[in-house]
Amino acid sequence: MRILTRRDTGLLTQWTFGSSAIDTDALAFISAASITDLTQQSAIINLVTSLKSNNLWNKFDAIYPFVGGTANSHKYNLIDPRDLDAAFRLNFVGGWTHSSTGALPNGVNAYADTRLSPSSSLNINNTHLSYYSRSNIAITSNRIFFDTFISASNCMQFYFDSALNQVVFDAFNTSDARVSSAFTRTDGFYIGSTTSISNRKIYRNNTILNTNTTTNTLSNLPNIPLFLAAANTTGGAVVFSNLQCAFGSIGDGLNDTEAANFNTIVTTFQTTLGRQV
Amino acid sequence: MTLVYMLTQDQANQLKGVEYTTDMTFNPIQDANGNWIISNEEVSTTTIDWLKELPTIEYIPKVVDFF
Repeated sequence: MRILTRRDTGLLTQWTFGSSAIDTDALAFISAASITDLTQQSAIINLVTSLKSNNLWNKFDAIYPFVGGTANSHKYNLIDPRDLDAAFRLNFVGGWTHSSTGALPNGVNAYADTRLSPSSSLNINNTHLSYYSRSNIAITSNRIFFDTFISASNCMQFYFDSALNQVVFDAFNTSDARVSSAFTRTDGFYIGSTTSISNRKIYRNNTILNTNTTTNTLSNLPNIPLFLAAANTTGGAVVFSNLQCAFGSIGDGLNDTEAANFNTIVTTFQTTLGRQV
Repeated sequence: MTLVYMLTQDQANQLKGVEYTTDMTFNPIQDANGNWIISNEEVSTTTIDWLKELPTIEYIPKVVDFF
């Protein structure tokens, strides 16, 4: 068994995991989120090193691994694990159930505020959202991964639409910047990604569900934060979801290869934690 | 059927933004009939005793369609 140990060496504090030096970003997150379980520590270390070795790490503004089983451990952003709103730490509001398998919003009044506004952090025609859902449910009303909505031409949304019976990714309008697809299950690792003015896709578990190549002409980036599991409107949070989240991310657009590699990395992460679906 | 706890508007105002347990805050909302409510998760986790005496009602979500 390899054990995370600290070795005080004068001015430097060196951490090792077995015989290997630990990635400092992984270590910062493990420390902030107070992750003491060795399997969870190993999963985080492998997640970070795999994202870096696949040249994905710099594509993220926020990664929420939902490891540790408490609101405190789940709130931290892997990319910047400071306990600050400016670091896009999650602010959990309403009824949530936190466990080793993730964070379950109650579908009544729960959401998490990312404090990340697209207008200040994201790029038009080059952005993605991802959500690892552990819930397979019937969609009788809209169920949201991430959402911020000012108007139909000024929004970012990733959600299941009950009227359309489709999964929808809007970045950043609901017409020519929309890609949507039929779906059979609401669990799995969903990615919505836009990589150019005329290329946007939805993936589930490494399968491309649909592509939209319409040229985007009318988007604005919302200046209110993305909410997880509800829609953020100018009037506050509405449309509350009940899909258990075991991973989420916000960042730059991912092409097919990057999305495939990301899916592999996140799937391995969930398998290590024994909570893959 | 999902049961929720019914509040007065004053009680809802009192709870808004208050932490009910570490790193989670109350979120009183209005249901489809205009009742102020909070969820079972919030009431079962909090140490605020008077909340546990609130009446329960069936949750009827407000219909919002802006998509």
